[in-house]
Amino acid sequence: MPTVSTRRVVITGMGAISPLGVGAAALWQGLREGRSAIGPLRHVDAGRLRVKVAAQVPESFDPAAHIDERTLPLLDRTSEFALHAAREAVAQSGVDFAANGLGARTAVIVGTGVGGETTQDEQSRRLYGENAQRAHPLTIVRLMTNASASQISIAWGLRGPAYAVASACASANHAIIQAAQMIRYGMADAAVTGGTEACLTYGALRAWEAMRVLADDTCRPFSANRRGLVLGEGAAIFVLESLEHARSRGATILAELAGTGMSADASDIVMPSAEGAAAAMRQALDEAELNPADIDYINAHGTGTPANDVTETRAIRLAFGTHADRLAVSSTKSMHGHALGASGALELVAAIGALRDSVVPPTANLDVVDPACDLDYVPNVAREMPVRAVLSNSFAFGGLNAVLALKRAP
Amino acid sequence: MTATIQQQVFEIIAKQAKIEVATIRPESTLKDLGIASLEAIEMIFDIEEHFNINFPDQQGANFDTDTAQSLVDAVQKALADKTATDEGSK
Repeated sequence: MPTVSTRRVVITGMGAISPLGVGAAALWQGLREGRSAIGPLRHVDAGRLRVKVAAQVPESFDPAAHIDERTLPLLDRTSEFALHAAREAVAQSGVDFAANGLGARTAVIVGTGVGGETTQDEQSRRLYGENAQRAHPLTIVRLMTNASASQISIAWGLRGPAYAVASACASANHAIIQAAQMIRYGMADAAVTGGTEACLTYGALRAWEAMRVLADDTCRPFSANRRGLVLGEGAAIFVLESLEHARSRGATILAELAGTGMSADASDIVMPSAEGAAAAMRQALDEAELNPADIDYINAHGTGTPANDVTETRAIRLAFGTHADRLAVSSTKSMHGHALGASGALELVAAIGALRDSVVPPTANLDVVDPACDLDYVPNVAREMPVRAVLSNSFAFGGLNAVLALKRAP
Repeated sequence: MTATIQQQVFEIIAKQAKIEVATIRPESTLKDLGIASLEAIEMIFDIEEHFNINFPDQQGANFDTDTAQSLVDAVQKALADKTATDEGSK
């Protein structure tokens, strides 16, 4: 293979809005306390839905308090989340995109599973349910899948490559990987990237009900009594830079995004494959120049479905061999729910928190041992321990796998 | 009555599995009939639509190992529950 010069990629800012509250700090604090944000579904149609629980962004989140009144009408809920999280990330990074032409050298890559679902659902209801004659004129600009990426680009004058990445539940990790590769290979010096999702609409909830993968009580990853996933929503957005760029401006580095791995199972549209997931984990280790024994923590995909948790356990064993028994593995979906296209981004906040604070967040609601899930899942209580390097797994329907490898700030 | 429901359920199974109805025996598991998990979920949907019933959510996960007869039983139970509910609301 020809040698290509590559650059190291670091994370200098993060922002989040999640069921655990507004801000990356609120999310991380909740996770390390083992606090689950899963609760009764708040929805205008809750009475006739079979879905009973969800992990939702608190009602106290008021987009109007954070986003200017000229932009607000242009936004679906997904973009409200993304823009707000981006503002926090940019502020934390302290980066000035207007200085030295950085805006033209900055990419915006945002993952989302379905994009403007709330807008789609509202307009469908008007047209098909109420026989309205016209759709709202801003329907298209709100619902287009790239809306979040475009709104972030516009807000900060970011003129490099900008687009959405969609791979269902792995969207955020695929987006973050795409952004990191652009910096690594010199196509951009910085990137604003992450994932956003807000799809708890009547139509989407009915579709999930029909698939029979939702838990009716709570999310219990790796527990023998697990009954499926619990849907969530939210966004997390990050500022990535090349290491030299971050150093040249004296930025505080949160973590190094040291390696990435992507693979496709090319087998079943919904049933996961351990081999596909293991291949992505191995790639992430290789690119990061890490040995399995260098990893202390894996933030698992851990959806709480019967199929995922067993397969992911097998995949970790395939990729890590004997070191698998020394790993701390947890699923924070037990607390923030499954935010689909945003989930990898919310989980990156957890991975960074673990590296920085030397604390592994727990798997909540894990109370019955499953013989087929035989790793150390850090049940119910966070663990203080040295964390040198971390993997964060995302696997999607469609058999798509995307894994991030992180190291402590260099 | 029972035979009729069984016949209807078997026809839905046969359609999903793309096999002759006559090849389905009550003790055949969905796996025996070559029905994978996603097809099983689609079949449950077809049965729910056909009889206008709802199966309990968690039933979906077990159908891989369940038999054709257990589907018929589940339909009969759901129909009985529905009748009871309808009577109760009168």
